[in-house]
Amino acid sequence: MNNNNINPLKNTSSEQTNPIHFSAQGIMKKFGGIDALNDVNFELRRGEVMGLVGDNGAGKSTLMKAISGAQLCDSGAFFIDGEEVKINSPHDASRKGIQIVYQDLALCENLDVTANLFLGNEIRYLDNLKIIPRALRPLNHLSMEEQTKAALRKLKVHTITSMRTKIGFLSGGQRQSIAIARATKSDSTIVLLDEPTAALGVSQTKEVLQLVKRLRETNHAVVLISHNLNNIFEVCDRITVMRQGENIGVFDTKDTTPDQVVSSITRGE
Amino acid sequence: MLKNMQEKIGYLRETQLGSFIPVLLALIAIWVYFGIVEPVFLSPRNFYFLFMQSAVVGTLAVGVTLVLLMGDIDLSIATVAGVCAAIVAVLSTKMGVSAPIACLAGLGAGALLGGIMGTIIAYFRVPSFVVTLAGLLGFQGLMMKILGIHGAINVRDPFIRGLTTTTLPDSIGLILAAIGIIIFGLAIWNNRRARNAKNLDNDLLYVSIIKFIFFSTLVLTATLILNAYRGVPLTIIILLSITGFLGWLTTSTSYGRAMFAVGGNLESARRVGISIEYMRISAFALVGFMAAVGGIIGASRYASVSFNAFAGGPLLLEAIGAAVIGGTSLFGGRGSVWNAILGALVIGSLGNGLDLAGARAADKLMFSGAILLIAVTLDAVTRGAASRK
Repeated sequence: MNNNNINPLKNTSSEQTNPIHFSAQGIMKKFGGIDALNDVNFELRRGEVMGLVGDNGAGKSTLMKAISGAQLCDSGAFFIDGEEVKINSPHDASRKGIQIVYQDLALCENLDVTANLFLGNEIRYLDNLKIIPRALRPLNHLSMEEQTKAALRKLKVHTITSMRTKIGFLSGGQRQSIAIARATKSDSTIVLLDEPTAALGVSQTKEVLQLVKRLRETNHAVVLISHNLNNIFEVCDRITVMRQGENIGVFDTKDTTPDQVVSSITRGE
Repeated sequence: MLKNMQEKIGYLRETQLGSFIPVLLALIAIWVYFGIVEPVFLSPRNFYFLFMQSAVVGTLAVGVTLVLLMGDIDLSIATVAGVCAAIVAVLSTKMGVSAPIACLAGLGAGALLGGIMGTIIAYFRVPSFVVTLAGLLGFQGLMMKILGIHGAINVRDPFIRGLTTTTLPDSIGLILAAIGIIIFGLAIWNNRRARNAKNLDNDLLYVSIIKFIFFSTLVLTATLILNAYRGVPLTIIILLSITGFLGWLTTSTSYGRAMFAVGGNLESARRVGISIEYMRISAFALVGFMAAVGGIIGASRYASVSFNAFAGGPLLLEAIGAAVIGGTSLFGGRGSVWNAILGALVIGSLGNGLDLAGARAADKLMFSGAILLIAVTLDAVTRGAASRK
């Protein structure tokens, strides 16, 4: 944090940048005697892809878990559009528009595309009839399918033709697309992607990176965690480097090289 | 090569019609075989008894399908059925409670016993296999206690007996069949129209038509055959209505979605906010309720409640076997309550046919074992197909 000004963000680019949408300030988290996160500051703008890199154990995942409410931090504050927000549970986070796509995607292979997109949040008939318990109101299958189609179209995912296909029959890239579509379907503004390309082949990786770029166009604030610097440099606008629980610095992708980032990851320079 | 085939079978079983077809083919094969070997098998009278014999197993199979969908199992269904039947018998014959109220008490007791087991499974994280195994043993004892020293109570109450002895007049049976067919047809047609209007991909027209023809032939033939003997039994109508409701519950409500989600990926179900505890408790209560329905039908059919008819016999394994033969996965996340009824018919037909052919108990057991083995293997093989990619 102290050396956060190694490469301070320069607003040199001619294109106007959005104001800060989300920021985390002074985040601390200890596991036993180890500082998993030590006074970390982190900020995101809408319409921007922020890469988050660092070695194993650098604190990337802990930071993501803190932001998505999966794990409480010891101290620190979160702000959305300048206003302080409390994030104490995943539910809090998603209500504030923060969605996380975990590495394991959390999809049900035995359900179809539509069912997965709306899982736990189905569209139902008779939703204003309070006498009938929510779980027993009939599902509006067609509306859900229609919206699923629209959501995938918005993300320009064209490889999934039938919304009635079971997830089990889709490729890794297609599954990733659906997990991302689920995260962005609701009125979320912040999407955290944890290693979305880790298990994918070349063409599927490309597919997913395209999708990440689409999220920038739809004005989401995107965080991309990856070990693959090629991917990071391909889609990210800025890159946050973490090392031993600290935010080493934020690089502008345009003004930096992979070598610089690597030495920052490994030596903290 | 093998993998390729697995994938194809997997695909097939994932489609609505596809999961239906293997059981149906098995059923038809069994009917054709016994029809040739023992022509009596195909007589209306035998069909009538076949349906009635399969009713108890069918009810329990439909019930256990609900927890199988969630990746759990209930080994206590047959004994819960026995306990509930015993409660109904004691209340109505020894304590002078009117039969309908005794039946309600039995149904409540079933739901309660199931709910208690579900609570233990949900909150103490004990595997359902173990909890319901304990239930199986404990409820056997409970049933003995309720039945008293004689171990059997005769049921002569006209209301309870009437549940399985009543048949509908021919005309009413036909009218009900016609209504069923019309509703099914309208549902398909409406769905097609709505999908077209919303520009969603539709089934091929001929698939819809085949579905419809298939369904109407099935319903109409069954009705005509039953009418040729005594008419459509009330039991069948009760069973079909309950199954219809549960079928709707599992496929067309958030509750049903949650069941499939829990069976498919417990962790993701939890993450989207589904209460696993609530699901488990309610599903086991539903199974208990269905077990009680089965118990009452059994008491009515045998005109008595005895230990051997429920707890001591093969009822439990036949019910779970019927669900699995129907294509419901033991691993959770796939299956249908309707298929459980077909599975029950497969087991019932096999037993009935082998009886007619003069097979001994030993052969019957071995045949049933083989069929079950095939069904479970098919389940395991196709389970891999979808997730391997």
